[in-house]
Amino acid sequence: MKYIAGKLGLFVLTLWAAVTLNFFLPRLMPGSPADAAIAKLAQNGPVTEATRAAIEAQLGVPDGSLWEQYASYLRQVVTLDFGVSYTFYPQTVSSMVSTALPYTLILVGIVTILAFVLGTLIGVAAAWKRGTWLDSLPTLSGSFMSTFPYFWTALLLLFFLGYVLHWFPTTGAYSATTTPAFSFAFLGDALLHAALPALTILLTSLGGWIIGMRNAMINTLGDDYVTFAEANGLRGGTVAIRYAARNAILPNLTGFGLALGGVVGGSILVEQVFGYPGIGYLLFNAVIGQDYPLMQALFLMITVSVLIANFLVDILYGVLDPRTRR
Amino acid sequence: MTSTNPKRDRADGDVLLDVRDLSVIYESAGAAPVQAVDDVSFTLKRGEFVGLVGESGSGKSTLGFALTRLQKPPARTNGGNIFFDGSDIRELDTETLRTQRQGGFAMVLQSGMNALNPVRTIRNHFMDIFRAHGHVAKADREARAAELVRKVELDPSVLARYPGELSGGMRQRVSIALALSLEPQLMVFDEPTTALDVLVQHAVMDTIQSLQASENFTAILISHDLGIVLEATQRVLVMHEGRIVEDGASRDILERPQDDYTRMLLSHYADPRAEVVELPGFPARRSGAEPGTTRPRAEAGDAAVVTRSVRSADSAIVVDGVSKVYPPPRRGEKPVRALDDVSFTLEPGQSLALVGASGSGKSTLAKLITGIEKPTQGDVRFGDVDVTRLRAKGLRDLRSNVQMVFQDPYSALNPLHTVEYTLSRPIRNMTDLRGDDARARLHDLLTTVGLTPTETFAQKLPHQLSGGQRQRVVIARALASDPQVLIADEPVSMLDVSLRAGVLALLEDLREKWGVSLLYITHDLLSARLVTDDIMVLHDGKVVERGVTSEVLRNPQDEYTVRLLDAVPNPRRLREDVA
Repeated sequence: MKYIAGKLGLFVLTLWAAVTLNFFLPRLMPGSPADAAIAKLAQNGPVTEATRAAIEAQLGVPDGSLWEQYASYLRQVVTLDFGVSYTFYPQTVSSMVSTALPYTLILVGIVTILAFVLGTLIGVAAAWKRGTWLDSLPTLSGSFMSTFPYFWTALLLLFFLGYVLHWFPTTGAYSATTTPAFSFAFLGDALLHAALPALTILLTSLGGWIIGMRNAMINTLGDDYVTFAEANGLRGGTVAIRYAARNAILPNLTGFGLALGGVVGGSILVEQVFGYPGIGYLLFNAVIGQDYPLMQALFLMITVSVLIANFLVDILYGVLDPRTRR
Repeated sequence: MTSTNPKRDRADGDVLLDVRDLSVIYESAGAAPVQAVDDVSFTLKRGEFVGLVGESGSGKSTLGFALTRLQKPPARTNGGNIFFDGSDIRELDTETLRTQRQGGFAMVLQSGMNALNPVRTIRNHFMDIFRAHGHVAKADREARAAELVRKVELDPSVLARYPGELSGGMRQRVSIALALSLEPQLMVFDEPTTALDVLVQHAVMDTIQSLQASENFTAILISHDLGIVLEATQRVLVMHEGRIVEDGASRDILERPQDDYTRMLLSHYADPRAEVVELPGFPARRSGAEPGTTRPRAEAGDAAVVTRSVRSADSAIVVDGVSKVYPPPRRGEKPVRALDDVSFTLEPGQSLALVGASGSGKSTLAKLITGIEKPTQGDVRFGDVDVTRLRAKGLRDLRSNVQMVFQDPYSALNPLHTVEYTLSRPIRNMTDLRGDDARARLHDLLTTVGLTPTETFAQKLPHQLSGGQRQRVVIARALASDPQVLIADEPVSMLDVSLRAGVLALLEDLREKWGVSLLYITHDLLSARLVTDDIMVLHDGKVVERGVTSEVLRNPQDEYTVRLLDAVPNPRRLREDVA
C-alpha cells in the first residue's frame, strides 16, 4: 500500500511537470499564432488594421501576466477545454479528440495488448522448446517481419488483401453508408475496417515481443531455481510458467509500458495509409495545418498517457515482483 | 578404483546406487569436446554418507548432475549405466524420471541462494512439490511444510516469506528442507556451503550431518574442500580430471592416502593453531618469529621490479577511533553500525590480518582506508594525509600508494582485454613511464608475480588463464603504481586449495623483497597465520582481540575467535562415528 502511495505521489509530480512544460515551451518560441497568420497574409498584400484585429480576436492573443495565463491554462487542462481548432474551425479541440480517441484506443490499444500477450506466449513456447521447429519458426519469421517498415507492410496488405482480393475495405473506419451507432451492423462494419490496420501493427510488433521473451526466458531457464525445480520433479508446465516465464516477463514489462504509452500517439503512418480517423491521423493533419490548439492538446494527451501507462506498469511490477515492494 | 565390480549382483538389497563405466562429455559448439567424466564406476550402499572431492574442473559436479539426470546440453552422458535401486536412470522416460524424484533422488545445489524462485513464497515452493507428486494429503500439507522447515532449524514463519527476505544460510536451509520434502532415498549435496559465511557454513554442515543420521538417507557430498568432506563423511571418492583416483574410508584417506593427487590435496591443510605451520611451496613460519617487528626492507633495485625511486616517505596508515554507521536498510529498522570505534596502525612493511565472519565490518574498513567511503566518526590518515578529507585529485594520489586486491579474480578482470592492456592502464595513469619504459615495467610486473614467459602471458585474455593466474594478474595490476600498501580482501577464497599457497607465497614474497605493507582481510585463519605477523579480530564492528598472529591463534582469548578457529575445516577432526 505504501508502495502504491509512493508511486502515486511520483506520478502526480511528473504529471504536473509535464503539464507545466507543455505550457511554457510554446511560450519560449517568439511570436504568436496570430502573428504567423498575419505574416502569411502579408505576403499577398498589405494587411488592414481591421483584418489584424479580426485575426487576433479569432485566434486569441495572450493577455494578463504569465501567472494568470498559467492559472487559466491549468483551469482549461482540468476542464479539458483546449479551445477551437484552426483547421477544422469551428469544431472544438475536445470534441475532435474525443471522436478520434476511441478509434485509436480500440484499434491500437487492443492490438498492442494482443501483440504483447501473443508474442510473450509464443516466446515462452519457443524458449521452452528451443532448438525445435517451434523455436526456429517463430523466431526467424518474427525477426524477419519486424525488419519491415510499418508502412511497407501496410501497403502490401492494402494492395493484396484490399485491392486485389477485395477481402477488406481499403480506407476509413466504417463505410460511408453506415452511421456510427451501437448496432451489430455498425460494429461489424467497424471491425472489418479495423482488420487491415490491426494486422499491420500486429505483424510488425509481434516479432519484437517473441524474441524479447524468448531470450529473457532462455536466461531464466539457466537459473538455479529452474534447475532446482526440475530436480524436485515439478511438472514441466509449472516449471515453464511459474518459474521460468514468471521471472522472464519482468524485464519485458518495461517495454510493454512504453508501448502502451505510445498507443495514444497512435500509429501515424498506419492510420495515414489506411485513412483511419484516429489520433495519429488527427496529429498528422494538425501538424500539416499548423493547428496549434489541436497539437498542444494532442501532445499533452500523449505525454499524460505515457505517464499513466508507466504508472500502471509500476503498480503491476509491485504486484508481480516482491523485491520491488520493499 | 577399488570398489569396481561389474559382476556385483544388482538384486543385492544393500546397494542403492551402482554406477558403471559412466562417461559424460561436453560438446560445445565451436570447441573441442571435453570428456568431463571418464569411465567412472562406484557403488553406494544404503545409508552411506560419501564425499566426492576434487578441484574445479575435476568433473565432480558434472558427475553429480549426471547421477540425478539434471545435466543439460552441451553436457551429455556418452556411456555407462547408473543403476538406482535396480533400474537404470539413463533409460527412464521423462515422466517416470519426474515421478521418481519423489522417494528417489534429490539434489541440493551449490548456490542455494539462487535455488529459490524470487517471486514465490517459501510456502508455495513446498506446495508446488506436494502438488507435483501428491504424496502428502491436501489437509496435511501446511503442517508437513512447517515440520520440514523445523527440521532444518528454521521457524515456520519463514513459510510466508519470499527468498529475498532470507539470509544466505536460511535460503540454503530452505533448499535442504525442500529436497527433504521429496522423502528421497539419495541426496546429492553439490557444494552446499561454499557460498556461505564461515560460521554459517559450519552450522549448515552440522544440520546436514544430523539430518543424514535422523532421516536415514544415503548422501553424496560434493565439495572442493577435502577438509569439510573428511570431517563429515565416512567414505571419500577423490576425483581428478574426470576420473576417480581414490575411493576409501575417510580415515584411510587421511592416514594412508594412496594417490599422489590426494596426498597433494591433504598437504594443503594445516591447523592454524599448530606450533609450526607449513604448506608446500611456503616457508615455515615459527610461532616465535620476532613478534611485531617489521622485517628488514630491501633497497630499491633489489627486487625483480625496479621501483620508481627510493620511497620518499615511509608512511603508516593510522586508523583512529573510526566508526561507520549506515542508514537503516528498511524503514523502521535501526541504523547499521558497521564499525564501532576501531583504531590501529599499519606500519610500513608490516602485515596485519583483519579477520571476522561476513558482516563483521572488515570490508567496510577497507573502503574507509581507500577513501571509497567516509567514516561517520574518527580519522583515517596515511602519513600526514587525512584520507577522510580527500577529493578527486587527492584520492588519485592516495590510490597510487594504497592498492586493493579483490576477492573474485573471475570478475575483477575485464574479459575483453588482454593482460597487457589491463596492466598498461595503471602504468599509464599512475606512473610517468611511457613507451619502452612502460613496456619493460609491464614485463617486470609479470615476472614479479611469476607469470613467465611474460611475452606469452601478456597476450592472453582472462578466460585463457586459471583462477590462480588471474589472481596474479590482479596482484600485478595493484603493484603497477608501486604502492606502499596492499589491501588484499580475501584474495584466495575463490581459488582451488592447490593454488592458494602459491598466491599467498607471492604476497609474502612481495612484502619481504619490496617492503609493501599488507592488510590481509580474511575469514580464513590458516592463511592469516601464513602471511601475517599481527592479527585483529573483528566482530560486529568491534575489535574483540588483537595481537601477534601466532599467539592469538594458539591461545585465543575471545569466544568469537574460538568459534572462527573451530570453523576452519580440519581433516584431522574426523566424524566421530567413523570406524
